[in-house]
Amino acid sequence: MSQSKTICKNCVMDTTDSKITFDENGVCDHCHTYTADIAPYWNPNEKGLKQFQSTVDAIKKEGIGKDFDCIIGMSGGIDSSYLVYLAKVKLGLRPLVFHVDAGWNSQQAVNNIEQIVDRLELDLYTEVIDWEEMKDLQLSFFKSGVSHTDTPQDHAFFATMYKFASKHGIKHILTGGNYSTECVRNPLEWMYFQSDSAQIKDIQKKFGTKKLKKFPLTNILWHKIWLPYVKGIKLYRPLDFMPYDKEEATQFLVENLGYQRYKQKHFESRFTRFYEAFWLPKKFGYDTRKVQYSSLILTEQMTRDEALVKLQEPAHDPESIEDDFNYIANKLGISTSELNDYLLAPNKTYKDYKNQQWIYELGAKVMRKLGLEKGGKR
Amino acid sequence: MIAIVDYGSGNIQAVKNIYDKLGIKSYFAKVPEDLSRANKIVLPGVGSFDQAITELNDSGMREKLDELVLNKKIPVLGVCVGMQIMAKSSEEGVLDGLGWIDATVQLFDENILKIKPKLPHMGWNSIEVNEEHLILDGVDLDKGFYFLHSYHFVAKNLSDVLCLTYYGAKFHSAINSRNIFGFQFHPEKSHFNGIQIFKNFAELQHA
Amino acid sequence: MLRSRVIPCLLIQDKGLVKTVNFKNSKYVGDPINAVKIFNEKQVDELIILDIDATINGVDPDYQAIEYLANESRMPLCYGGGVKTAEQAKKIIQLGVEKVAVSSLAILNPNVLIEIERLIGRQSIIVVLDVKKTFFGTYDIYINNGKTKIKRKLEDVLEELENIGVGEFVINSIDNDGVMKGYDMVLAKKVRGLISTPLTILGGAGSFDDIVELVNEFKIIGASAGSLFVFKGVYKAVLISYLTEAVLKKIQLISNKF
Repeated sequence: MSQSKTICKNCVMDTTDSKITFDENGVCDHCHTYTADIAPYWNPNEKGLKQFQSTVDAIKKEGIGKDFDCIIGMSGGIDSSYLVYLAKVKLGLRPLVFHVDAGWNSQQAVNNIEQIVDRLELDLYTEVIDWEEMKDLQLSFFKSGVSHTDTPQDHAFFATMYKFASKHGIKHILTGGNYSTECVRNPLEWMYFQSDSAQIKDIQKKFGTKKLKKFPLTNILWHKIWLPYVKGIKLYRPLDFMPYDKEEATQFLVENLGYQRYKQKHFESRFTRFYEAFWLPKKFGYDTRKVQYSSLILTEQMTRDEALVKLQEPAHDPESIEDDFNYIANKLGISTSELNDYLLAPNKTYKDYKNQQWIYELGAKVMRKLGLEKGGKR
Repeated sequence: MIAIVDYGSGNIQAVKNIYDKLGIKSYFAKVPEDLSRANKIVLPGVGSFDQAITELNDSGMREKLDELVLNKKIPVLGVCVGMQIMAKSSEEGVLDGLGWIDATVQLFDENILKIKPKLPHMGWNSIEVNEEHLILDGVDLDKGFYFLHSYHFVAKNLSDVLCLTYYGAKFHSAINSRNIFGFQFHPEKSHFNGIQIFKNFAELQHA
Repeated sequence: MLRSRVIPCLLIQDKGLVKTVNFKNSKYVGDPINAVKIFNEKQVDELIILDIDATINGVDPDYQAIEYLANESRMPLCYGGGVKTAEQAKKIIQLGVEKVAVSSLAILNPNVLIEIERLIGRQSIIVVLDVKKTFFGTYDIYINNGKTKIKRKLEDVLEELENIGVGEFVINSIDNDGVMKGYDMVLAKKVRGLISTPLTILGGAGSFDDIVELVNEFKIIGASAGSLFVFKGVYKAVLISYLTEAVLKKIQLISNKF
């Protein structure tokens, strides 16, 4: 592994996050953000459920006479899958399950969506992103040398869901985002805001071979201000209001709803698996497992020792990595040597291209002052 | 290394893909010299008997193959028509086969095929083991393999028959005589069962 | 014992997968490579992939795409679309595809099939016939994506092609395409009665029961479907699926009963 890096004494974030700071006890700022900004206001228990109940009632009321009362974005991953179960069975909601197919679905993801939708007798809606455009944009991101290479998929997911909700007048969107497994966020340096469409447009302009005509683009002002405050479309994170233990949830779904396990978080997409397990660590030295394990450490679902042991193994499966590398190149229509060239090219950051970071920073300041958001990305 | 004979017939890429995924080294042999470094050989084949044997002769590798298989006893696995040409002759054509196995190749008798469809024998069919062998380890016999052919192998000696399959009557769907293996079905296109055959073949200890 | 084959059928237009209804209104359903990869992991019996534009546009088959798709399949692949010569058919087989499908060629220039047979073998030639019911209950064959009617009778075409010798016939019902209300069993029975070559029925499958019904009737047959394995639910959400183990076992039992 690497040479000298300092690891937080409490979690496992370290100086590969170049902006990390430690207090006199060697505890990092991620831990402090959690302790100060998140933990005091987070009630994953009866209290939280009571808090959320009024929201649930309102959603149900507004949904009377309609085919469904909310939409849930489902990727096939554990968070969104468990959320679908909770929403229908525990909260008594009538969700439309919404899935965005960006062309990278793994067989397990497709199976998991099918199993859950069938067994819970829910309706499914999918949007399929135009693959030719997706492919071109994805290649542009590889060529740009930035580290947030998974932006096209992420962006497409949210943009599509918001556009759908806006078009059909659906006011309530539920997502599986949660503090339990995500209270520590990926540093901005590792993964810049996927919703910044100025960045996407600039990268596509500089490296793309076609115009994006069908690809769904959103922007921060539209979905953080216009949609919620003008059109009244709200995003909820129900998993924050009840106990959510990832391993228990997975086991439950495996035993009761035909769910197939993934090796690691986000492995429902073949691209994300490749990106997080190989591309990011190999090209940039960023290992997202540190972020995920640190979250689990803070929420007491993993010990620091367990995390350190796991981090000793490579992030990617050495047996399948060559296969994955070939698959990614194959699918993007390039040779493996071309993909390798991108791997070896100089590393760039989001600052090398047009971006709207100033809006995000301004927005974050305002949100925090108003007490509306805690523990955002940095 | 496993040599996949590239003589112009058969799905050589599919076989290589399987070995690549298994992490087992294999390569395409196009000329006799290529075969020298093989410790095992896969002989694919599609199309007609005469065409396959002609292409094999034209490739220049015929003599080297005879030497390696018959004299050096290098393990060889024939697939579909690659297995059929191991016989002495075929009703489908006029040319002589390799003659590695005392056998002929005959057209299925349509009269014994009770219901439609008749020919070709097409689809997933199960296999029955005639002689146990490690090469069949881990194979789901009932699930079987994918068949696509109108002519079938008829070995003279039952001791050369590895597997039987029912189509109108039982026919020889796989053969084995010491280092020589032949499969009428397509292991390269039979999912897990097929991958298992290729894996077992690679792991066979040289007799 | 031999069992019936259940075969997802994918249509390619403009490099993307599409689904149609009555051969019209093609809806984009995604990337072919990922779809084939998922079907492969689901261990489907076999796959049919048809490029519905190639003949109309008068272009060669997309060999690069075919190679990528073949690399992802550990089950037999049948590829069709724009095949006009024996050389094209051979090239497709060499890329790792087991069967080559022809449609308009078989109708307009069936002699080329003899040439193709010489190069790749009869068992690898699949004839796809797109048919539509007439007012009188008979069936007409169409080419060019259902736009050009052929004046010859279905019976005569089938007889001629069976005499020439092919590996399989795929009968595609334009009326039932994408409608998901069941196969045209009358059509299936009619064709089964006329030929003894392997037969696959395509068009209309809306549920597992439709496939079981087809197998029950014919014991050994190819049951092909597009929408059933690509769409889910009332909103026709795009999600790739296949039959469950239980239904596949049922089909195997029915096939083995004769």
